[in-house]
Amino acid sequence: MSEQGFWVIFMPSGRRGRFPEGVTLLEAARELGVGIESICSGRLTCGKCKVRVEEGEFAKHGILSTANHLTPMGEEERALLHSLHAEDCRLSCTARVTGDVLIYVPEESRAQKQIIRKAATERIIEIDPALRQYYVVVDEAALGEHRGDWGRLQDALQRAAGLTDLTIDLHALRKLQPALREGKRGVTVVVWNDREVIDVRPGYQEGIYGLAVDIGSTTVAAYLCDLRTGEVLATESAMNPQIIYGEDLMSRISYTMMNEDGVEKMHDAIIKALNKLAAQAAHAATLRARDIHEMVVAGNTTMVHLFLGIDPRELGGAPFALANRDAMDIKARDLGLRLHPAANVHVLPSEAGHVGADNVAVLLAEEPHRQDEIELIVDVGTNAEIVLGNRHWLMSASSPTGPAFEGAQISAGMRAAPGAIERVRIDRATGHATFRVIGDERWSNEWNVHASSHLAGKPEYLAAGICGSGIIEAVAELFLAGILLPDGRFNPAHPTDRLVWEGRRAAYILATPEQTANGQPIYVTQDDVRNIQLAKAALYAGAKVLMKRAGIERVDRIILAGAFGSYIDPLYALVLGLIPDCDPQRIVAVGNAAGDGARIALLNRAKRQEAMALAHSVRYVETAVAQDFQEEFVGALHIPHASDPFPHLADLLPAPAAVADAAPGRRRMRTRTSG
Amino acid sequence: MSEEIILSELSLEDLYELMKEDLYDGLAEEIEEEVREALARGEAPYDVLTKGLVAGMEIVGNDFRDGILFVPEVLMAAKAMKAGMAILRPLLAETGAEKIGSMVIGTVKGDIHDIGKNLVAMMMEGAGFEVYDLGINNSVENYLEAIEKYKPDILGMSALLTTTMPYMKVVIDALKEKGIRKDIIVLVGGAPLNEAFAEAIEADAYCRDAAVAVETAKKFMQIRKGVKV
Repeated sequence: MSEQGFWVIFMPSGRRGRFPEGVTLLEAARELGVGIESICSGRLTCGKCKVRVEEGEFAKHGILSTANHLTPMGEEERALLHSLHAEDCRLSCTARVTGDVLIYVPEESRAQKQIIRKAATERIIEIDPALRQYYVVVDEAALGEHRGDWGRLQDALQRAAGLTDLTIDLHALRKLQPALREGKRGVTVVVWNDREVIDVRPGYQEGIYGLAVDIGSTTVAAYLCDLRTGEVLATESAMNPQIIYGEDLMSRISYTMMNEDGVEKMHDAIIKALNKLAAQAAHAATLRARDIHEMVVAGNTTMVHLFLGIDPRELGGAPFALANRDAMDIKARDLGLRLHPAANVHVLPSEAGHVGADNVAVLLAEEPHRQDEIELIVDVGTNAEIVLGNRHWLMSASSPTGPAFEGAQISAGMRAAPGAIERVRIDRATGHATFRVIGDERWSNEWNVHASSHLAGKPEYLAAGICGSGIIEAVAELFLAGILLPDGRFNPAHPTDRLVWEGRRAAYILATPEQTANGQPIYVTQDDVRNIQLAKAALYAGAKVLMKRAGIERVDRIILAGAFGSYIDPLYALVLGLIPDCDPQRIVAVGNAAGDGARIALLNRAKRQEAMALAHSVRYVETAVAQDFQEEFVGALHIPHASDPFPHLADLLPAPAAVADAAPGRRRMRTRTSG
Repeated sequence: MSEEIILSELSLEDLYELMKEDLYDGLAEEIEEEVREALARGEAPYDVLTKGLVAGMEIVGNDFRDGILFVPEVLMAAKAMKAGMAILRPLLAETGAEKIGSMVIGTVKGDIHDIGKNLVAMMMEGAGFEVYDLGINNSVENYLEAIEKYKPDILGMSALLTTTMPYMKVVIDALKEKGIRKDIIVLVGGAPLNEAFAEAIEADAYCRDAAVAVETAKKFMQIRKGVKV
């Protein structure tokens, strides 16, 4: 921003600033802190960042805003906007400023705080933290005796707790003598892992706290725990601020490849966010951040690299080499974390290039290695992590599902934010949909879109798009209603009036214009269905390849981990063929298991050893290069599957007769509608 | 709608029609029978290829492009095509029939994903191209070596990851450095790519999917042959 340049004003936030010619609207928005969705980071594929120029003389702002104050629209931008039915918009990632403009950011383009309940679940954890407090009375110094106060403290700790070979953090050493004076030789000492004295406080003191953190690509969750009781004192979560540099992992790695200061920027962003979360959590528990003596971190491998300030570019391509697979203990202050000045950070170990500490944390929480039953654990995100096994063996894989399940690559896709369609039911006879959006408990058929108040039936939020769970339900319901054929084509023989045909291509009207925020219908297009097929097939095929390696045909239990897993209805996951057949009663969503695992490692140090053992023993299978992956992938493109049986869906799936005309036959002259 | 078909009783026109339909339905055995029948009637191998198989695959390609067919159906069709080609290839070599074109294709270094690339390779074969598939994780050296060996008309590069697609530029720069960039048509594709990227790295074209790849390849081949004549 400078004295020169042009005014860019964003509405409805009203934020404004002057920018030099040639700056993209997205860059200007970021500079001003205006949140605009962008998934593809300027590669003109997602169309999420669309905004509108408000034309005219805006006296209040002292500017004349016109559409020609942006660089002209390119072919690609025009085509993308056309496909989004948003001809009156511009893509903020590509439109560059050439004059004063007033920009309106439509509801569906605003990056809102996500609603993801990353609450800590109740699990039984044996409390044996790495941090212990000891109250000791230290010998008085005397002439002719030269142990020094640290030597005397070591002797006291050996007498009291049998601790030997201790070291002391410089910060604690600085506090030692004042504490001895103030406490009249009596001090409370915090010892980490029976090895290092990290704090010395005068007199007898109680209370020791730690923070467990799960750094997700989208959401960061922090749990402040009382290390003596294991009680969760506060849970805080926030969006990962790195999202502005790229929605998915690969985009962020790519950002570091393209920008010299990329690692530094993303490292600083996450540290800043963690400092804020720590302060908020401490505040909620009437503590201060400096009362936090240890932090345990889980996260995918890219997040862990960036957290540590390590360039993750090696993870951007095969062979996906980690800088370090093992657990680490580092000083929080070295990372710029504002906790207790001598606090340590324990980073959980990873399994392989793209199966990270978050997955190890899930294993700590779910303990498949203690079960007889064979469990399939699936963590769905842009990259799905899959673990299969029981107490005798464990295998893992990572499947590139792509961002379709997070709403990207879906024409009306959006993240799980207010207004996103999250639940869908389709009437089997009429083919009409009813749905529910995030932020309103009622189904759309209870809405009165013309009412004046919420109580009279006016929806809190009109539909703005479809989020991941919504698109899964929509596709599964379309299939159950016979509107989609098992091969993923829209059924030309279905009588519903909600299919709009353009030649032999169709799109399904999920929400009608009066139900949506922008007054345009929300469609499920043929390409949307194809993208969901690709994503679900990648996940299913990954699981199937592991099952084949293990020589098993079915699993006893399926665990859906991750925030997204909590929102998928297990039945629809089965109908879609996202996961292999299983008793729906035995498919459970466990929420943020990675956060739970981090908490477990915070509260029990033996679990850190267990995590290392797990990380080293899980057999990672690189599914992409597996001989049978393509075959499994292709078979899994069908809904639910081309050949694998789903006996648990027997009563639910449409009768094969309904789709008989789509089946190939032998030696028949067939006629096709056109060539 | 269904009736028994006796191949020998069909007119030639109906035989080619049937070939296209069976290709569409991915019926490999039937395709083999029909190719043999056509040859037995004295049809030139090149005509069987173009009027039957290539024409059939064109319909498959169009429907794939339009979202009516999807990957599994296209793979089935390509397999049927392959079965027919296995019979025709030696005959075509014998007769020295005109070649439609040739292509070296591979996924770039750092990338181990190949399903999309495989689909392009099969569709290109379906369109009558000679295809040399280098597989995954290909370095500049791999590409250059293959180009020297096979002297293809077209180089196809694929990447599934945002992080591996910049390698395409490395390969194109190497072609320029060797002074052979103008001798070869470079087509690129993969999920994270788009036209702007292809333009920026100075590829000849971005192909959104396998069907577009075939169309684009044919278009470039026409231009190329036109220039050469």
